[in-house]
Amino acid sequence: MINRRTFLTGSITVTLLGSPLFSALAEKKKKRNLVVISLRGGMDGLSAVPPIDPKLEKFRPDILVKKTLPLTSDFALHPSLKNFHNAWKQGKAAIVHATNIPYTMRSHFEGQDLMESGGHKPFAEYTGWLGRGMETANLEGLAIALPMPLILRSKANLDNYFPTKLSTPSPDIMKRVASTYPEDSNLRSTIQRVIMRPYSMLSGKGSRKAHKLAGTAAKALSKANGPRVAVFDINGFDTHAAQGGSNGEHADKLYNLDKIFGTLQKYLGPTYEDTLIVTLTEFGRKIEQNGGNGTEHGYGTAVLMMGGLVKKAQVYSDWPGLNRKNLFEGQDLNSTTDARSIYCSAMAIVFETDFEKLKRQVFWNDPLIDLQDKLFNV
Amino acid sequence: MKKNFFRKVGFGIGPDEVVPKNPVSWAQNQVDKVPPLIWDTQIRSGEEMLNHYAEWVYTDREILRKKYRENRQAYKEAKNKLRYKVGQQYFENLEICIRQNTAVKSKSPVFERLWFFWCNHFAIIDKDAMPQFTTGPYHRETIRTNMCGSFETLLKEATLGWSMIHNLDNSESIGPHSEWGKNRRKRGKLATVNENHARELLELHTVSPSAGYSQEDVIQLSYVMAGWEHEHTKKRKECNPVRFNYKKHEPGNHKVLGKKYKQRGLSPKNKLIDVLKDLSNHPETRRFIAFKLCRHFLTDKPTEDMIEPIISAWEKSDGNLPTIHKALLQVVYDHADSQAKFQNPEIWMLQMVNMVGGSWPLQADEMKYNFKIKPNNHQRRPRFFMKEIGYEPYRPIQPNGFSDLESDWISPELLIRRMSAPKEIAQRRFALKNFGEMIEKNFDDPEEIKALINGVKSSSTKMQLIFPSYRMLKT
Repeated sequence: MINRRTFLTGSITVTLLGSPLFSALAEKKKKRNLVVISLRGGMDGLSAVPPIDPKLEKFRPDILVKKTLPLTSDFALHPSLKNFHNAWKQGKAAIVHATNIPYTMRSHFEGQDLMESGGHKPFAEYTGWLGRGMETANLEGLAIALPMPLILRSKANLDNYFPTKLSTPSPDIMKRVASTYPEDSNLRSTIQRVIMRPYSMLSGKGSRKAHKLAGTAAKALSKANGPRVAVFDINGFDTHAAQGGSNGEHADKLYNLDKIFGTLQKYLGPTYEDTLIVTLTEFGRKIEQNGGNGTEHGYGTAVLMMGGLVKKAQVYSDWPGLNRKNLFEGQDLNSTTDARSIYCSAMAIVFETDFEKLKRQVFWNDPLIDLQDKLFNV
Repeated sequence: MKKNFFRKVGFGIGPDEVVPKNPVSWAQNQVDKVPPLIWDTQIRSGEEMLNHYAEWVYTDREILRKKYRENRQAYKEAKNKLRYKVGQQYFENLEICIRQNTAVKSKSPVFERLWFFWCNHFAIIDKDAMPQFTTGPYHRETIRTNMCGSFETLLKEATLGWSMIHNLDNSESIGPHSEWGKNRRKRGKLATVNENHARELLELHTVSPSAGYSQEDVIQLSYVMAGWEHEHTKKRKECNPVRFNYKKHEPGNHKVLGKKYKQRGLSPKNKLIDVLKDLSNHPETRRFIAFKLCRHFLTDKPTEDMIEPIISAWEKSDGNLPTIHKALLQVVYDHADSQAKFQNPEIWMLQMVNMVGGSWPLQADEMKYNFKIKPNNHQRRPRFFMKEIGYEPYRPIQPNGFSDLESDWISPELLIRRMSAPKEIAQRRFALKNFGEMIEKNFDDPEEIKALINGVKSSSTKMQLIFPSYRMLKT
């Protein structure tokens, strides 16, 4: 079995096909992209990437994931994550396990606020870690949602996209409306962005299904002068009831996630090589199932990463084990990696910005660890 | 004269309405009794709606899926027929119409705004078939009818009502030492409580995290709550009335927020009732809800001098809601000049409708339905439109309901909706003839708004200019 304090590496040999390393030297640097997928409700890392450990069967007899896909000798993958698994086989997918943001109070609303703000105290920050990171690196982003998620908010102004079927007024009307908004207000800068939009983004009659929107986002990211960051939300990971194992609520949500993985890969085209997709959630779920084939709010979970910037197929973890005494509060998979270390490293590699600088300007110089060498193609 | 007050606590002044001379008493007089809903045909009861819900889930899962296992196309057709028969695409639209018609036609718009507030405080998220069948009735019957008594009663009714019990999974909870719990363990199955409802009861409905409760408090409260359930049956699935099942209840005494709760009679039912009583009278509950009321009606960042009079009214009246509401209305009026509140899409849209005397939503005769075919486009418009502008009243995605913060309602796409929505109302009939008069009645700086439409002929364009403008978005 897995020993604590053992760093795990994948059992898959990484084959780099048409490695971009050489051409990158000759050409100008390519634009890199970051896609963050928020899994709201508390994604169960023990269901998505179950450790191969008989103890898990004892805790979860009715919701055990069967017919898993093989990863390493110590971990398996939920069968809903087929696209992710294909990427794994190509050395383009990895997992950090037993990780979470440093939050242990089990409230969705506080947890989601912190996973987006990156802060310590719930509802104390009005900007998000990704927004601040992009501000530090001077970049543009695009949220695929109707509201602007906290994670992207910053002093700089950001864009979102969500097709409407209502008819939009003429630019002239918009400009007159804009003139009523105070000069330095959020409203004013936001409407300016609307006014400057290309017509195609205003009359969008596109589909609003998540995986279709993923296609739209991927196409935007794949353009040399397009945005470099995209953010998605998937709701419904709060599986208190009928979570199920290979089938059920959680399986359906993972399937939705996997569909987004697949669509992004397809529409990013060659840009996929310069892209990093990473997941985010507020907490994992308790190790023990509850009476209704569901799970309660927990702590440690897994972060999934995919894309050309992933170093190799691996489950990276300082695995704490599933013995009672190693569980957080005797109930949850512990977190041994501050997930913000992953996100700070991800921004450093994608934004090509100094890790220390991001750590200072985005995360208040908290003791985060630079994982770029371990996780990404530096 | 603080004309913005009529939008802060209502839906503005319509073409046929006069500006009340004494705004505070005008507002306070609206909260003592529950006004009737405004709808021309009979309104279905929650009980009847639960039957439709039951028929929908039972017939689909137990009959159609089995009967048409081999034939996807035939299954799809049969399911559509069932959809029409039980009104699966109809009732949510109808409920939106009843809700919004009542809001804009009401003689007590202030009461309606408070109704919207409480529906959102005790939010029911988009889960299973609830938005299609039962959340509208829950708002009408559980929330609305209890708005003129005590907070304690409202809390009790909301907590023990079918909607909240189902929405927050309390039927899944099994006390580990209960009869069922022991039996399950004998069979090698696990039996634990589901903490969902207990957690939200503390965090969202009453004391809030500032009370400093622990995970142990949540677990103990889950024990207290275990057994409050709806039965799950083959023929009706989850659609059974709430009952107390002592066989799932965790026996013994439980300590919540430092106080021990024990059984006082033959049944341990009283434990939860006792907790609810204490929670509704907890100082942190008063503070949290006073804060939320001010945040909804007045400003994103309420100050102590706003919250204090509401807490004090609560203390003096033992949580009598009309008294609390009246204190709030006075506070809102007192601060009306210095505070501007960003209005959420639904309230903003209904203010627009009311101020121009618009023909929204659809009326009872337009919503007549034969339950045989798909509701027509027109009848499905209410849900479509609410989805477009980003506020489906029966579909909050999280139990903390829709946000009250400006920053959550501003994004390029949400602003596009605010600029597009006026056309939806403008292209229907509306009563307003004189825009100047409407502006005089509703705005404290009428010249500023008049200048905006100076030289504009088309009424539709006037609406497209006025309603997304600053003073309307932020009242």
